[in-house]
Amino acid sequence: MQETLERLRAEGRALIGDADSEQAIEQVRVALFGRKGSLTALLRGLRELPDAERPAAGAALNELKQELEAALELKTEGLRSAGDTAAGAGADLSLPGTPPAPAGSLHPLPAIVREVCDIFHGMGFSVADGPDVELDWYNFTALNFPDDHPARDSQDTFYIDDKLLLRTQTSPVQVRYMEQHRPPLAIVAPGRVYRNEAADASHAAEFFQIEGLCVDKDVTLADLKTTVREFLRLLYGADCTIRFRPHFFPFTEPSVEVDMRCFACGGQGCGVCGRTGWIEIMGAGMVHPNVFAAAGYERDAYTGFAFGLGIDRIAMLRYGIDDIRLLYENDLRFLHQFRGVR
Amino acid sequence: MKISLNWLRDFVTWDWTPEELAHRLTMAGLNVESVTPYVREFPGVVVARVTDCRRHPDADKLSLCTVDDGAGEPLQVVCGAANVQAGQDVLLARVGAVLPGDLRIRKSKIRGVESHGMICSAAELQLAQQSEGILVLEGAPAPGTAADELIGCRDTVLDIEVTPNRPDWLSHFGVAREVAAISGHLLDGPALWSPPKTGGDRPDFPVEIADFADCPRYTAHVARGVKIGPSPRWLQDRLLAVGARPINNVVDVTNYVMLELGQPLHAFDLKKLSGNRLSVRRGKPGTRLLTLDGVDRELTADDLLIADAAGPVALAGVIGGADSQVDVNTVEILLESAYFDPGAVRRGARRHQLSTEASYRFERGADWDAVEDAAHRALHLLQELAAARIDPTVVDRQNPDRREPAPLTIRVAQANRLLGTELSMSEMLAYLQSIGLKSQPVGRSGGRQGGDGKFMVTVPSFRRDLHEEVDLIEEIARMHGFDNIADGAAFRGGAGVRRRPQDELAETARGYLAAVGYSEIVTSSFMERADLDRLGLTAADPRREMLAVRNPHSGSETLLRTTLVPSLLRIARHNVNADRELPFRLFQLNKAFLPGGRRPAEVRHEDERRLPQETWTLQAAVVGRGDRVLGDADAGLLEIKGLVEALSAQLRLPLTLVPQDVESYLQPGCQWEIRDERGAAAGSAGLVARKVLRDMDLDAPVALCEVELGNLDLAPAAPRFTPFVRFPAAKRDLSLLVPDGVGYDRVQEVVREAAGPLLQSCVLFDVYRGSGLGEGRAAFGIRLKFQSAKGSLQGKAVDAAVDAVTAALARTLNVELRG
Repeated sequence: MQETLERLRAEGRALIGDADSEQAIEQVRVALFGRKGSLTALLRGLRELPDAERPAAGAALNELKQELEAALELKTEGLRSAGDTAAGAGADLSLPGTPPAPAGSLHPLPAIVREVCDIFHGMGFSVADGPDVELDWYNFTALNFPDDHPARDSQDTFYIDDKLLLRTQTSPVQVRYMEQHRPPLAIVAPGRVYRNEAADASHAAEFFQIEGLCVDKDVTLADLKTTVREFLRLLYGADCTIRFRPHFFPFTEPSVEVDMRCFACGGQGCGVCGRTGWIEIMGAGMVHPNVFAAAGYERDAYTGFAFGLGIDRIAMLRYGIDDIRLLYENDLRFLHQFRGVR
Repeated sequence: MKISLNWLRDFVTWDWTPEELAHRLTMAGLNVESVTPYVREFPGVVVARVTDCRRHPDADKLSLCTVDDGAGEPLQVVCGAANVQAGQDVLLARVGAVLPGDLRIRKSKIRGVESHGMICSAAELQLAQQSEGILVLEGAPAPGTAADELIGCRDTVLDIEVTPNRPDWLSHFGVAREVAAISGHLLDGPALWSPPKTGGDRPDFPVEIADFADCPRYTAHVARGVKIGPSPRWLQDRLLAVGARPINNVVDVTNYVMLELGQPLHAFDLKKLSGNRLSVRRGKPGTRLLTLDGVDRELTADDLLIADAAGPVALAGVIGGADSQVDVNTVEILLESAYFDPGAVRRGARRHQLSTEASYRFERGADWDAVEDAAHRALHLLQELAAARIDPTVVDRQNPDRREPAPLTIRVAQANRLLGTELSMSEMLAYLQSIGLKSQPVGRSGGRQGGDGKFMVTVPSFRRDLHEEVDLIEEIARMHGFDNIADGAAFRGGAGVRRRPQDELAETARGYLAAVGYSEIVTSSFMERADLDRLGLTAADPRREMLAVRNPHSGSETLLRTTLVPSLLRIARHNVNADRELPFRLFQLNKAFLPGGRRPAEVRHEDERRLPQETWTLQAAVVGRGDRVLGDADAGLLEIKGLVEALSAQLRLPLTLVPQDVESYLQPGCQWEIRDERGAAAGSAGLVARKVLRDMDLDAPVALCEVELGNLDLAPAAPRFTPFVRFPAAKRDLSLLVPDGVGYDRVQEVVREAAGPLLQSCVLFDVYRGSGLGEGRAAFGIRLKFQSAKGSLQGKAVDAAVDAVTAALARTLNVELRG
């Protein structure tokens, strides 16, 4: 019996060693463990052994069976991984990927509107809006632009008639919102604005702005500075340097212009910043008491700040767009460069 | 406004480089846009004396000069000027000199004679536009003196952005005031003419002011014995440095004083005025005035004029008349210095589409006190530069009812409340004093805040932009420095907020559309009138009523769009013509403007009722999909239908598509009306008609949809969970022979009705038309899915359902099973 087992062990090992395919392995498995397999025959033969020999022989036979099964399993795995390696060796990983259906793209202007609104949203500002076709009253008079005053010249206006115009700024939303709401309030209002002038690389007759307004009992210029700084930090990153310098807007007082250190030259002066080292990015100020009065508030009851910024300018600076008209031409070669921009 | 630093130094000093000065002015609110050197130098040009001058041996028109240029050796120079003579002091460009215009002087031989330099004319030095002969100096310094000492100039010019509230900064003196405030140095005034004690009012030259509202102050001085000529170099240089053109000494003086003190002046040739009297009045319709710019202008009752006995002589505060202008023969001038009403000047300037340096300043508000100072300054200069004798008596007509504005009260606490500062009253007083405002505390004295914590400020005539407390608070902030105001403790915002439903919806729609291949476009709010016909809109279509812009810069009709369709087709055309790969997909979320749209119920201003309804429209299009699917169906048409259905699901807006011809620009029979939950029209979808494509010059098929979101309930209902069936489904595919004229919608309807409750879905996966089916039939491949909540389905139950379906199809639609 011992001899038979040893012979069978050697034979089995040899067969397993020679098998070079999964198919051959299967044949070996059948030859050893199949219904007519040699090991199966031996197992069947156990019955005929004397009672005294049977347990020892049975144990030895089982041990051999387990040994050969394990060898067979090992060989199978080896063959499989060799097969993977062989199959993988033929793959050309440099072939182009097969894309899913081509994606579209979001236009950079509404994308930046969303981004700016999101930032302010996180700072507790709601979103509001107003009409593109406005009353002269909301666009100018209520914003403390006197009639027949040169302050109106800075904004060449599309008039529809004496009373109706296309808004030149998003600021009329300030008054409309205050008419409907009492402080405390904090809003941003994005929208399209219009200027009656010929288009060139840096001017468009239609473009986008976002207005901001925050009114409460004791809002200060210091609060304005912090809020603007926080917003710009979130929009442009922690390392942006800004400055506040006095300016004039009829509807805020004090009024400030916010400049950012030119990112292109680091402040040395270059074409991007008009050699000043600074880029004007937003106008802001403390709400003029006359605007509160126009909205129906008591002049002194509240204080507030307002700000406005141009969306087109942010897009142009961020994406290196040197001609504003590209934003409105809607050429797919332009638009598709903004795939993935949210 | 260009500011010459040399000029500024007449009034104030500072301790900074030009760049530092520019920075400090910028941070005080005078935004300096550029700092540019203004330099005129003549390297190699020196004073020389002509010691000998004779005719060139070989040329009649040339002279052979010997000159002493101070270097020792006499030089031989050939000169072509007729006026050269021995004994003259001239300017010699030595060999190696470079003249303006990059003219390099070399040793040369002229008609056989060597010439070691060039004697210069004024034109060659670009001191004059043209000149006859060489420039002969009078009282010149010693030969060899550099020309730069006589005619050179080194200056620095700041270009300052002046906001409309600060007319006082439209002058060198006004800017000097600001420099004095920030540098702490004293301010010097310019030299003025002092009227003699014997002067007084001038009775022999009446000036009648029709309405003091138009002209609250008018002064006139007479200067006699004037010698017209060029201005001295220093004055010309200052004008040139700030971009003004020198003309003659009298005109230059008026310009100079305006740029110096901000007050526009006008000089009339007294002899050209008739009647020895003037009036300031409105124009009479039908009269005309030839102005200095050569334009013959028709006047109206809106124009404010200066008139003499014969008629108009100037458009007040804007431009003078040509017939009374100072010229080379003028010897007596009448110098006008006045305060015109800003609105009156502005209306006149706008009506004549003429903006002058004078009107620009008057529109922003002149300085009452400077009216007289400017006249006196000009008279002083005319004495110095044009040998003028000034009449001692003067005209100074003033509105007798004019009142100085009352002093302003400012509360210390309010200033600190607005700025977020803790400034003391004395700090505030010091800031205001530095810019020339006189102030004093009011109420009880004592205490750190000065009693009541209030003070009164008297506003000088050059700061009439200061109307109220907040204006003064701004001045305090400006002088304190915005960068010196500490930021607040934290940003200032509102309470917790949620996004509005419409913003959420817009984001979802935009993100989804971009993900499935649509590119967002932003289009103009304007459209062309011809677009209405291109779209074939009927005469009754409300979109034919458009708002027009009254004053378009382009000159052509500018109309607010009532539909987004033309804008989208234009962008499609642009990209088709630019050879973009087809198909491509576009979408936009934009406004259209319907003047006839719904009106707000309640308005604060009556005009609000005339505002147009502004739609908020989502529009998407697939361009250039010409292929056919499901038998012979247009792929673009079905894609746009599928898109509307998908959007409806993604946006949770229950939209339905109802086949119906609703838009003239869509192909009949190839369009749907999109309806909302209540069945109200919310938009349309379909194939753009071929005629429209042709009229829009667009060479690709377009399928588009648009949904007007403004009318929809955009807050989506939250989905309600329903338990789903976990038992496996049984699927059966059927191939149906469907007679033409029977739509899939009918087939589906019959299937759903007949199959019973086990049917989970019925999907059309193929349509085949072609040989082997017989005439007038198509083969529909549909897949039915059955499922039961009670357990796995038995084959028999499914067979029974399928049998019921086929029987019903055969009975009601004459549809047979294929094969």
